[in-house]
Amino acid sequence: MTAHKLAAAAALLLAASACTDGRSQTRAVAVLVDVSGTYADRIPDVARIVRAGVLPGIRPGDTFLVVRIGEQSYADDALVKRVTLDERPSRANAQKLDLARELDRFAATQKRARYTDISGALLFASEHLKKTGAGHRAIVIFSDMREELPKGAKRTLEKDELAGTDVLAMNVKRLAADVNDPAAYRARLADWGKRLTDAGAASWKVVLDPEELAGTFTSEP
Amino acid sequence: MRSLYIWPDNPVASLLVLFLVVQVVGYAARVPVHRGLRKLGAALGGALRLAGRWLRSASDELHRRNREVLLEAGRAEAEARLEREFTRLATTFTTELKEYPALHKRLDESVRRVDEDLKASALTPPEAPGWPEAVQAIAALPKAGDRTVQKVLDEIHKSAVASEKKALAEYRDATAKRHKILADMAPVWKTIKGALEQVQHAVTGTLGASSKIDGYMDRYEKIRRGEDAAERGLAAGSLNLFIISAFVVAVAAVGAYVNFHLIARPMSELVNSAGGSVAGLSVSKIAALVIVLMEVAAGIFVMESLGITHLFPKLSGLPVSRRRVIFLVALAGLFLLACVEASLAVLRENMSAADQALRMELAGQTSAAQQQVQAQLVDRIPVVGQAVLGFILPWILAMIAVPLEMLIETGRHVVGRGLGLLLRGAAVLLRICGHLVRHGTAVLAHVFDIVIVVPLQIERLVRGDAASSPSPVAPAALRNPTERTQPFQAPRR
Repeated sequence: MTAHKLAAAAALLLAASACTDGRSQTRAVAVLVDVSGTYADRIPDVARIVRAGVLPGIRPGDTFLVVRIGEQSYADDALVKRVTLDERPSRANAQKLDLARELDRFAATQKRARYTDISGALLFASEHLKKTGAGHRAIVIFSDMREELPKGAKRTLEKDELAGTDVLAMNVKRLAADVNDPAAYRARLADWGKRLTDAGAASWKVVLDPEELAGTFTSEP
Repeated sequence: MRSLYIWPDNPVASLLVLFLVVQVVGYAARVPVHRGLRKLGAALGGALRLAGRWLRSASDELHRRNREVLLEAGRAEAEARLEREFTRLATTFTTELKEYPALHKRLDESVRRVDEDLKASALTPPEAPGWPEAVQAIAALPKAGDRTVQKVLDEIHKSAVASEKKALAEYRDATAKRHKILADMAPVWKTIKGALEQVQHAVTGTLGASSKIDGYMDRYEKIRRGEDAAERGLAAGSLNLFIISAFVVAVAAVGAYVNFHLIARPMSELVNSAGGSVAGLSVSKIAALVIVLMEVAAGIFVMESLGITHLFPKLSGLPVSRRRVIFLVALAGLFLLACVEASLAVLRENMSAADQALRMELAGQTSAAQQQVQAQLVDRIPVVGQAVLGFILPWILAMIAVPLEMLIETGRHVVGRGLGLLLRGAAVLLRICGHLVRHGTAVLAHVFDIVIVVPLQIERLVRGDAASSPSPVAPAALRNPTERTQPFQAPRR
């Protein structure tokens, strides 16, 4: 009887292996960092928050990428770093340390951009995330969320562009105009929420506390 | 509704015409409608009743088979128990009876010694009869004047007194010797008492075993005769065992889960999971699962080769030497797996420390991270605890074979009984549905008659019959006289 049960379990495992997505349990996280003039002063904070809040929660096998939000964020050079962590935890930890150092270098050497192409960065990150085949995808945006596109740039978020992707806005900077008129700030965020939800985002959330961000990535998907 | 109007501008006239048409058509179609409803009720009700009957018979068949299996299992168990008791009794007899000749010899020897001692103690010197009286008589003689006679009498008196003293001394010596002999008999009495106690113990044990065997035989006879009381007892025992073994297996499953999580993470350090995953589990997790399952399998083989469980009849039939080989191999495998788990548990603790240090370093607390690593190295208690847990859990998991066997043995009966009850419940439900359908069609026929009540009343007036118009398809002979007023008979069985 036990032999039959073991055989049945083995058969189930084999059957499951034939029809299961091999990467469905992995996660892919894209961090979009605004380097425009209005947000550049926050970049050291961004590096610190990502180091302490996002990187510890990334697990072996997950994919992590950093995308610059600048003048042309849909361009290839917008990709600062893309790493898929090794399955072995010790190797993954070493990769995380490398990533942290890379972030520090990025924060120290980054030049200010004249425009803020958030949509382009979202499109760019979405493409990369989809290619990973990860079961859980997330985009973390560090920006003031005020988009300024260069002339001639057309950005359209399609209906399923961000399907199945959680989008978080972290450390959203309040501009001088926002301080004078909080309603404008809130309307801007609400507008982004609508745009992203229309683009199929699984969720949209504005995170104020770095601890909350850390909790989001530490928990299981 | 408006679409039914013949004259949309005149709904009253339209409805009136519609009503008349319905009355006429309904009255004309009354017979076939009643017949159709009756047939429909009979067909559906009959089908449901048949299905219910089939389910009932299936339930009875299942119950019968369950009963047979239960009694057979009970009979086999009773036989095995009787065999065990007979073997125990035979062993007792062999052991006790093997010692009995020596015991008997010792008892005989002791009795002989006691007999001799008794005889020896009985050999006492006879007391000189009448000496004290003679001495007293001589002493009491009056002093005569003859000195010679007086002297003779005194000498006789002295001699008599001396003889009396001597006899008394000899008597005392003899008594002392007898007492000594009797005192020497005490150890012999103790030996006899001990031997008799041994005999009593053996006899009591034998009688106890016999009475136990009588009880088992009585139960066995009841089972063999297939008595209901025996079946109920077996069923209750089976259910109790099922619940207990299910509980123990559930506890073991939780233990296996804990065990799995103890080794799943460190396995990712050893097994490369780049190949993807199976059923949502990474290769490293599957490897950990395999280790846990192998521990269970090794435990089952250990229990089988020890003869504690009988899940594999072929293993039970192997010679002892081969079973011993299987036992040693399974035990070695279990030990090896326990060692692997212990080392993985240590690795897990080290990985946790490394993660903690990394987290601190990423947060910019480099010195704190170094201190954390140092502290982890100094404080080895959690590491030792995890290692011990990792070593012990496989052995505990190995014990799952016993409750698993019980669960499988009793599960057949419990599941069969549950299925039987389910079938019986379904049968009752189907019969109720059959009744509802049959009587529902009868109600529909009445509703139909209510709709065409006008022509029916006209028919009654024309016929001059005070009674209501009977159903045109109702059977002539009604089984229940009270149903004579019913215009429609629900189809009967």
